[in-house]
Amino acid sequence: MPAPIPHVKVTLDNGLDVIVHEDHNCPIVAVNLWYHVGSKNERPGRTGFAHLFEHLMFEGSAHHDSGYFRPLQEAGGTLNGSTSADRTNYWEVVPGGALERALWMESDRMGYLLPALTREKLDTQRDVVLNERRQSYENRPYGLASMTLMAAHYPPDHPYHWPVIGWPADVRAATLDDVRAFFATYYHPANASLAIAGDVDADDAIRAARAHFEEIPGGPPLPPVSAPPPGAGDRPSALLLEDRVESPRLYLGWVTPRLFGPRDAELDLAATVLAGGKSSRLYRALLQDRRLAIDVTAHQYSAEISGHFTVVATAAPGRKLAELEAVVSAEIAGLAADGPTAAELERARNLLEADSARQRQSVGGFGGRSDQLNLYNVYVGTPAYTEADFARYLQATPEGVAAAVRAELRPGSRVALSVVPAGRADAALPGSTPAETP
Amino acid sequence: MAVDRRRLPAVGLPAALRFPAIERETLSNRVRFWTVDHREADLVSLVLLVPSGSAADPPGYEGLAAFTADLLDDGSRRRSGVDLHDELGRIGGRLGTDVTSDATVLSITALARHARAALSLLVELATEPRFDPEEVERVRALRISRIGQMRRVAAAVAERAFLRSVYGTHPYGHMPAGTQTALARMSIDDIRSFHAAHYVPERWTLIAAGGGDRAADRELASLVAEVAAPASPVRAADASGGIAVPRRLSAAGRLTFVPRPGAVQSEIRIGHVGIMRRVADYPAVMVTNMVLGGQFVSRLNLNLREAKGYTYGARTTFEGRRDEGPFTLQTAVDAAVTADAMREAVREIREIRDVRPVTEDELAVARPVLTSGYARNFETVGQVTHAAARLALFELPDDEYATFVSRVAAVDARAASGAASRRLDPEALRAVVVGPPDVASSLAAVGLGEPAEATVDEFFR
Repeated sequence: MPAPIPHVKVTLDNGLDVIVHEDHNCPIVAVNLWYHVGSKNERPGRTGFAHLFEHLMFEGSAHHDSGYFRPLQEAGGTLNGSTSADRTNYWEVVPGGALERALWMESDRMGYLLPALTREKLDTQRDVVLNERRQSYENRPYGLASMTLMAAHYPPDHPYHWPVIGWPADVRAATLDDVRAFFATYYHPANASLAIAGDVDADDAIRAARAHFEEIPGGPPLPPVSAPPPGAGDRPSALLLEDRVESPRLYLGWVTPRLFGPRDAELDLAATVLAGGKSSRLYRALLQDRRLAIDVTAHQYSAEISGHFTVVATAAPGRKLAELEAVVSAEIAGLAADGPTAAELERARNLLEADSARQRQSVGGFGGRSDQLNLYNVYVGTPAYTEADFARYLQATPEGVAAAVRAELRPGSRVALSVVPAGRADAALPGSTPAETP
Repeated sequence: MAVDRRRLPAVGLPAALRFPAIERETLSNRVRFWTVDHREADLVSLVLLVPSGSAADPPGYEGLAAFTADLLDDGSRRRSGVDLHDELGRIGGRLGTDVTSDATVLSITALARHARAALSLLVELATEPRFDPEEVERVRALRISRIGQMRRVAAAVAERAFLRSVYGTHPYGHMPAGTQTALARMSIDDIRSFHAAHYVPERWTLIAAGGGDRAADRELASLVAEVAAPASPVRAADASGGIAVPRRLSAAGRLTFVPRPGAVQSEIRIGHVGIMRRVADYPAVMVTNMVLGGQFVSRLNLNLREAKGYTYGARTTFEGRRDEGPFTLQTAVDAAVTADAMREAVREIREIRDVRPVTEDELAVARPVLTSGYARNFETVGQVTHAAARLALFELPDDEYATFVSRVAAVDARAASGAASRRLDPEALRAVVVGPPDVASSLAAVGLGEPAEATVDEFFR
């Protein structure tokens, strides 16, 4: 089990959580700031907004009204941000001597973004986002598959129905007033969590955080997110999408328990037993024994409202998706009936433990220790959650994994999506109906 | 106390980078075994450098090095592929098989409590592959299918067309994955010969970091000496095959157009032959590249993305290799502005040489990007073992990393301008566009001559 991440946490009067972790091995400091807002907080007709807003956060604030990157890169920092359905995070990794500057920059855009916001900035970033959508989704083989699957899992008014990047028409429709209202609602200290990790003294870091963030007023309570139940029975369970692809690919998806919810860890283990590495069950069945597929993956994507378990496999030349589907279904049924062997469970646990240890070597960036601390803090209310998190894996049993697979990966609750070369609708699973092009 | 928002806080001096000490020895089996003194309680990282990569593919056998490497984990003399992977999972290991033009790098990071098992497994993979005929056919079919998949990825098409255009028949003119025809041609004997010629323990550098202490390192060293038997010496071919890098090709065919019906963007590559990793002006080239296109606030990205909104991003790279690697400008733009974007890109390359030389102001941004954050590159066990492997591969001095910061800090405007005029050559530029057919007619206006049309298949079949 990975060692817990030692830290201190204080909550400022304005509601901002500040978490500090010291590690003096490498002369760098990570700043990681989560806002508990993502595309799930949007509404139909205004999708893609949280992500578009993330772009605007890099375009300057009242006291530094020019690009966000330059002062930090000049100081030797690296930085990025990302938006998911559930949260938006921003991070910098800087040399120790540049911590004050990173905090100054983060606090200036938390407290003083709007005075520097212009229509011109919005127009440019809207174009950048539309290009990002083209590059990362529309112009990429299978790039529209995930959003098609999500749209099929959830009714149109469910917050996981639409993709983080948004529907293009909605992105085009975003106005300055929308931006202002969004900032006022979600971008304030009480909806944020700041983690500082690395070559820094904890008292100094907290003092610096206070100096920069305490002056920013806490904001209003958040509007509730309403999530109607997923998957009503009247929706098609087999869809097809024609795309500029070489080989047909099958996506099988289920709505599953949320992050840290019951059976979430068991489904992680099940995904590893099914497709983690070349001795996994699906790899052997699909790629080695019968050579039906050229790749296969399985993941439990754990999100805040619910999770998604997905199995993805691409057909080998001349093979039919129905053949792949039969093998995947049989392997899942086998796991549901008998569970993993003790050796399989040990391997899956060790792989997940080592993956986590690999990620946690870094103090910053996506998945580094500062990001982990914020993840725990935002989703479970305390950064001190490593032990509880990993206890779930240590306590999992073969019977528990089998029970989770039985309960969650039921054939009846499954959505199958066939992505096939344009003009080859016949290559989809039999009975598939065309998906609406997102 | 509230903070002063009238000005940005000054930045303190970064702490000096100390690259961890490397202890080197040549074992009785002539393996160079290096241990890097970087400790990490939970993990161990092992890297095995074989200094032969895709540049060692014989002509007509493009993809042989990568195919050979891919087969290593599909069965050894002692165990089946499934059993090898069961063992890998048991130790929490991730296997890396990275074939570049110059090298094959095998690596395992695993739970530190299983360090010995990880090392035994790595050596077993490298020295005892079974090359079972049935597995070879299975992997061959997979690799041929995957190459087929890549045909649909605009960036993959552009990358291949670009290397072909810049390097022609030089060993750097193809990607490690090779082509479908070449893969179909390779016999098991070809694979065995390649393995015998190149995976010779005498040629290895084996590097370890992480885990507990020196005593543990000693144990690993004696284990390597025990398990990796010296092979009968077979001289491998020189990595570059001794073919001269083409500095300048004829003006004809400088611009390649690959139509991609229905594409919403044009994928663009522009560049020429660049530098060897060992060159003395490497720091100056890196700084100049930062200003031109190596970072978000580069001239190129500020122009194409921020000012014009043509693209999600544009960048340039100088990839230093054992021989002269490529200088590449890459971007993907809204198809309607393809020619405009290319003209702007070429203009940036041209102007940084004389019209708008690198300024002190730009250097003030570019140098720290390379230096102040340099320590970040040496944070994890995998980073330090791979960094050590680059010292071995490129025959760099021991203090390469420790002195890099001061060498970059010494790059002034004169040095940057010198690097720009020596290493950038607008007359040698070659370009590739992968985009919708209707952009073809606009490309003559770019200034790189008439576009020569190529098909996607030329680069994959």
